Amino acid sequence: MAGSNLSVSRVYIDVIDDVIAKVRDEFINYGAGEAVLSELQSLWEMKMMHIGAITANIDRSSAASRHPPSAHLNPLHDLNVPYQGPTEEYETPTAEMLFPPTPLQTPIHTPLPGIDPPMYNIPTGPSDYAPSPLSDVRNGVVDIKASRPNPYMQPPSPWMPTRPLGVDVNVAYVEGREDANREPPHHPATQDFFTSSTGKRKRDEYPSRLPPGTYMPQQDGSSDVIIEFEMGNSSSQVDQQGNESSSIPQLDGIDDEYDNLFQYPSVPAEDYNNVVQTPAEHELRAPTPAAVGTPRQTNNVSGDDEEPPLNEDDDDDDDLDDLEQGEEEPTTQHLVLAQFDKVTRTKNRWKCTLKDGIMHLNNRDILFNKAMGEFDF
Amino acid sequence: MATFELYRRSTIGMCLTETLDEMVSNGTLSPELAIQVLVQFDKSMTEALENQVKSKVTIKGHLHTYRFCDNVWTFILKDATFKNDEIQEAVNRVKIVACDSKLLSQ
Repeated sequence: MAGSNLSVSRVYIDVIDDVIAKVRDEFINYGAGEAVLSELQSLWEMKMMHIGAITANIDRSSAASRHPPSAHLNPLHDLNVPYQGPTEEYETPTAEMLFPPTPLQTPIHTPLPGIDPPMYNIPTGPSDYAPSPLSDVRNGVVDIKASRPNPYMQPPSPWMPTRPLGVDVNVAYVEGREDANREPPHHPATQDFFTSSTGKRKRDEYPSRLPPGTYMPQQDGSSDVIIEFEMGNSSSQVDQQGNESSSIPQLDGIDDEYDNLFQYPSVPAEDYNNVVQTPAEHELRAPTPAAVGTPRQTNNVSGDDEEPPLNEDDDDDDDLDDLEQGEEEPTTQHLVLAQFDKVTRTKNRWKCTLKDGIMHLNNRDILFNKAMGEFDF
Repeated sequence: MATFELYRRSTIGMCLTETLDEMVSNGTLSPELAIQVLVQFDKSMTEALENQVKSKVTIKGHLHTYRFCDNVWTFILKDATFKNDEIQEAVNRVKIVACDSKLLSQ
């Protein structure tokens, strides 16, 4: 065999094609459209290529033949061939936006100078995006499925390194966006939302509680406002945060000297004592305090006036082992994901049979159908 | 139908998750659709591994940690070697996460 990399690539490409084909109907029913689907596919493939998980010169025609339901999936010509130019559809700038000749950078959104950004949505304006410029551009050609995936599969060769993804996609994305900043720079808040893990988001289910297009201002930390206490006059929470009628002078909260050290320009004065009605734009918070008995915020503001930090994030990694991630970079952790058929143990000898697994070892991916393991404890 | 979300932690799964994250955060895609894509990915990946992959691997190593919780085995091996017909890999530390295969075929 020519090398397992090629076969792994092929399997991955098959999976991508299969997924895209099967969600196509959902996309159409949902009104998202073919364009969004194509964008999803190309972004996904681009990331895979960037990381080196798939190689570019995979012949996709056999993949197409393997999936008859998606017969309209046009077999692509060789990916290494440079982009032939728009046939009937997607405007060239769009393709160029996706694969700028100045590459080695993950974010495809980095626009070339001189390219009209509204053609490809620099994804900064969530509310504007959905109805328009992109969909307007592409709506006219949505029907044409011929060579749909093509424009996106034409990476110019200088862009094709197989170096590992050494850059944080999201960070670079931010940088690229700021260059072509057409929107008020409120996005860092949103950006933070999904890069800095709120809890254990990185591996958990897909939370995204944020309706698209919502501007999410910072409401914790220094921008903390409210919490309306509907119940009783003096809950213990209120007392901790300083009750005006208490005889103990408040030294924290608004009365501490912290504000004198740092001047936040646009922050409303913190005042935990006055109950302020916030417009409930932020769904995460608004209904909870009144409804639930313990109006504690999800963020770490409450209760850490006097108490030691909770150190909630100390065990963010799944393992509680001491001697681990300190030595190795977390990104190259060797990992095997599989299903087990049987796991047995005799004294200290463990045996297991696994199946259908993906292994990521020494920076490469290996797939297996069956595995036998023998371990000594 | 329930799916194993385990494969979302693989390279391909993480790329997909990142892509979906970006698209949802800039409003291109709705979260519901994104979830459906992920579920479909789970199914497609499981199916592909079953049908398209034929290789067999042996694993040997020292078991440092084992855990069985919620029908998921997690092993941490030290100084492990992975062999199959073509390749052989040695790693000093590897985590193996395995879900119960019987759960899918119910």
